[in-house]
Amino acid sequence: MAEVRLVDIEKKYGNFLAVPQQSLTIEDGEFLVLLGPSGCGKTTTMRMIAGLEDITAGDIMIKGERVNDKPPKDRDIAMVFQNYGLYPHMTVRQNIEYPLKLRGVAKADRRKRAEETAAKVELDALLERRPSELSGGQRQRVALARAIVRTPSIFLMDEPLSNLDAKLRVTMRAELKHLHHELGVTTVYVTHDQMEAMTLANRVAVMREGRIVQLDTPKKIYAEPADLFVAGFIGSPSMNLIDGTVSGGVFRAEGVDVPIDMPDREGVVLGIRPEELEIAPGGAAFTGKLYALELTGDSTLVTLRAGKTSVCARGHADFEADINTDCHLAPKDGARFHLFDRASGERLI
Amino acid sequence: MRKTLSYLGERALLVLVSVIVLFPIVWMFLTAFKQSRDAYSVSLNFKPTLQNFVTVFSDPWNLGSMVLNSVIVATVTVAIAVPCATLAAYSFSRFRVKARKFLFFLILSTQFIPAVVIVLPFFLMFRQLDMLDTRLALIIVNLAIVTPFVIWMIKGFIDAIPTDSEEAAMIDGASRLRVIKDIVLPVAAPGIMTSSIFCFILTWNEFLFALILSRRDAVTLPVGLVSFRTEQGDLWELMSAAGVMITVPIFIMALFIQKHFTRGMTAGAVK
Repeated sequence: MAEVRLVDIEKKYGNFLAVPQQSLTIEDGEFLVLLGPSGCGKTTTMRMIAGLEDITAGDIMIKGERVNDKPPKDRDIAMVFQNYGLYPHMTVRQNIEYPLKLRGVAKADRRKRAEETAAKVELDALLERRPSELSGGQRQRVALARAIVRTPSIFLMDEPLSNLDAKLRVTMRAELKHLHHELGVTTVYVTHDQMEAMTLANRVAVMREGRIVQLDTPKKIYAEPADLFVAGFIGSPSMNLIDGTVSGGVFRAEGVDVPIDMPDREGVVLGIRPEELEIAPGGAAFTGKLYALELTGDSTLVTLRAGKTSVCARGHADFEADINTDCHLAPKDGARFHLFDRASGERLI
Repeated sequence: MRKTLSYLGERALLVLVSVIVLFPIVWMFLTAFKQSRDAYSVSLNFKPTLQNFVTVFSDPWNLGSMVLNSVIVATVTVAIAVPCATLAAYSFSRFRVKARKFLFFLILSTQFIPAVVIVLPFFLMFRQLDMLDTRLALIIVNLAIVTPFVIWMIKGFIDAIPTDSEEAAMIDGASRLRVIKDIVLPVAAPGIMTSSIFCFILTWNEFLFALILSRRDAVTLPVGLVSFRTEQGDLWELMSAAGVMITVPIFIMALFIQKHFTRGMTAGAVK
């Protein structure tokens, strides 16, 4: 088990600043997810922890020890790669045994531990196969087995589920969650999928342009996004973000009139989550024409439009109405409005 | 109808090309087993003999020492060039050093120089070093010729290997050299094998440098062939027997490693 501290780390490629100076502490046994869109620096940050990328400035501390100059093999970490990183010429058994072999574990012990680990991820029947003879999910489990076979201090996972189909992704997500609960190893997980982040993490670090813009529990990030970027990134469907002005204690936009307790201000963005809105009979806060109905199974996504304003609500699965007819949406009891500054993206309330 | 005609035309062309390519080889093999009086005859009706092979191995031709020279020069060249080239190719493929592209171009550019231009400097250098007519001199020259080519070839194969497996091995506990030994070499083996064959063939067939730098002790098979052009005329049956001696090892090698050869040539396409 280990605490990981990134102290004022920075990464430059020539003149390009990939990760600007910042610090981050990952607690012992924590499952921390680095979340952000492609190219936001999350994988680079993870590779710096792994020792696969040199850092330009700052320090990386693992278990209180500075590891900047230590090669990956001496950092007591295990990593699961997006493309699995399996050894194509070795069988599943050899793949799982390899980290133990490198650490001089006796053959009999190696064999036993590989079999135990394979059983844990339900690979015991496939031990003599090569990676090319396995499905994506099976390959993923080999990569996992190889990572957990020697119980490292830290797990690093770089978008490990992104190559799997949607169904398998959900299954593997549960397996990962269970595995972390069982082993309690400090885990850093990189993904661009906010659903993975929300379901797996103890804490999520949302990244943008190399910088961590919010670091908090999934619940807090969902309930109180730090800025416009996080508000739009977290949640599915994403938060309704409506451009407008505040005057006389009311937020106004085309088809929108929401009472807001703040002084008059222009260039603001109102945010409300679709699941906090409900269909109302009339005279509600959001009024417009019904633009689209999307049945998702357990609910129906109702989108209304008024001029440039578009608002989405999650309604009952059996809700039906004609497109282009009048539609009214109202906030549910206890619904929370968010207000952001349009120019800076900063949270106002 | 049009399809059939096109098919027939295609086949006819293939047969024609095959005949043009194979005719000299077949002719050489047949002549190797002919008596001197039948050497110029195109008839297949002759009495085969192994006498030519006995003759080329006895005085004054002594092909045995040339076979030995060729085997030693080609084997040692491959044994040195391939490991060195593999490490160099790995470095060019994986390390982001300054002027990497320029260095790689520099290495490749050695291949642009016609051999005949540098044969004289080599001759003078080895004469100065008292190394003329030695196998070592031929090995050094062949290394200079084939190593850049092999670096270029192997780099292509290493480039095709995803780096994920190497990084995984480094995290699993392997040093860089261990990664090369355990991951890169086994995965790139078909490509390295292919490059080794090319390297061996290039060295085995090398003629110009061997002709200029050897006289008696270090003469290789291709140079030995010239000695069959005598004052009595060209001894085709002996030259053919020696030709068979040169080509058969390459044929056998190609047969044995054909599988690797094909895998190596297509390695980049397989992920």
